[in-house]
Amino acid sequence: MHSLLDFIARYYHWLLFLLLEGISFVLLFQFNHYHNSVWFTTANTVVGQINAWEQEAIRFVHLHEANRALTERNLLLEQQNALLREHILELNHDSTFVEQLQQDMMENMTSIPGKVVTNSVLRRDNYITINVGEADGVRPEMGVVSGTGIVGIVYMTSTHYSIVMPLLNSKSRISCRLHGTGYFGYLKWEGDDPLYAVLDDIPRHARFNVGDMVETSGFSSVFPAGMFVGKVSAIENSDDGLSYKLIVHLGTDFGRLQDITVLAETFHDELHSLEQRADSLAQQ
Amino acid sequence: MLALVASQMLVFNHIHLFGYATPLVSVYLLFLFPLGTQQWSILLWGFVCGLLTDIVSLTPGVCAASMTLAAFIQPKLLKSMEPQNAAEDMQASFHTLGFWTYVRYAAILTTVFMLAYWLVLAFSFFHFTDMVLTLVGSWIVTTALCLAIEGARTRKTVM
Repeated sequence: MHSLLDFIARYYHWLLFLLLEGISFVLLFQFNHYHNSVWFTTANTVVGQINAWEQEAIRFVHLHEANRALTERNLLLEQQNALLREHILELNHDSTFVEQLQQDMMENMTSIPGKVVTNSVLRRDNYITINVGEADGVRPEMGVVSGTGIVGIVYMTSTHYSIVMPLLNSKSRISCRLHGTGYFGYLKWEGDDPLYAVLDDIPRHARFNVGDMVETSGFSSVFPAGMFVGKVSAIENSDDGLSYKLIVHLGTDFGRLQDITVLAETFHDELHSLEQRADSLAQQ
Repeated sequence: MLALVASQMLVFNHIHLFGYATPLVSVYLLFLFPLGTQQWSILLWGFVCGLLTDIVSLTPGVCAASMTLAAFIQPKLLKSMEPQNAAEDMQASFHTLGFWTYVRYAAILTTVFMLAYWLVLAFSFFHFTDMVLTLVGSWIVTTALCLAIEGARTRKTVM
């Protein structure tokens, strides 16, 4: 208190000066229209700016909460988006050219739709587990395709699940041909890029170009002839120099594979049983 | 003080030389406060004189604010120009300060007053050139009038 009085006694003329100036400016803004309007305009601008800063600060403080709410909302929307996309895919299932082509070829085939349960593309010998099994009519050595190309061959089955040996497996060999030429070879994967495989044994006299379509040859009962596999992206000589080795850009993107279809021959069991009987008779 | 306010109201408020220069002689009141005068006294006198001028000139607050500012610096200005061996209650005049020192004293005090007055009155820089011309013109006329009044007062005192 003493310090305050001492301060006032020492600087009273400053305080008086400020007081008188204050009174003067009050009179100025109170009784002069021009100054009054300028004052209010400026004051409003300043008050508005300060309010804006305050709101910014409040928003910043609540940003964490908003962020959490947004994350939750985002998750919900992602789920909805996935469901809708799945629904659209189901509705438009036969709309693409490739699929239409495949369905035309599948007159004597029964398709068993399924979904990928586990998948890998990084190993040398990849396998895919699908959610359809013997109970759905799936048997070993049936072909598996996706909407954009072939996937592989059923390797093992259980009641409700099956394991597929995809193209991306060192043991996989699928007979394929160049569309429109009839030249065929075996498609295999060399373990590098999951988007590319190699078609071997194309004779040297064959004429074809980069971009030509590669399709299944139909030489086995696994895949019907003419199913889209991929496109030629590069042409190389084979190791022995006697044939061409074609680098094929696969139609199936195994990294994003979700929906598949198992191709079952309509008379697969009958055919299999007949073959078994023939084998046993031959052994006798 | 009343004479200054009355002359401002009746005469000087109606003078606008070349459309720009208007004398504001109220500031002369501040020239008269001798050394050693209490600061609060000068401030109050300056404020009241400015307020009266505002009332008669219909410019509430403008002259009061300017006179208060000029009153605030007057003692410090006079102290800084005080000659050696000056009396403790020395009043600024041509005799006590010398002609040119007094002119300087008057010019500085008038400058502070006029700057404050016209800046507060204009309250913007929209018509900057006009404002500068008014300020300079009014400053010249006011300073000349204050010096003339001081000259007349000094002569009267000597006589």
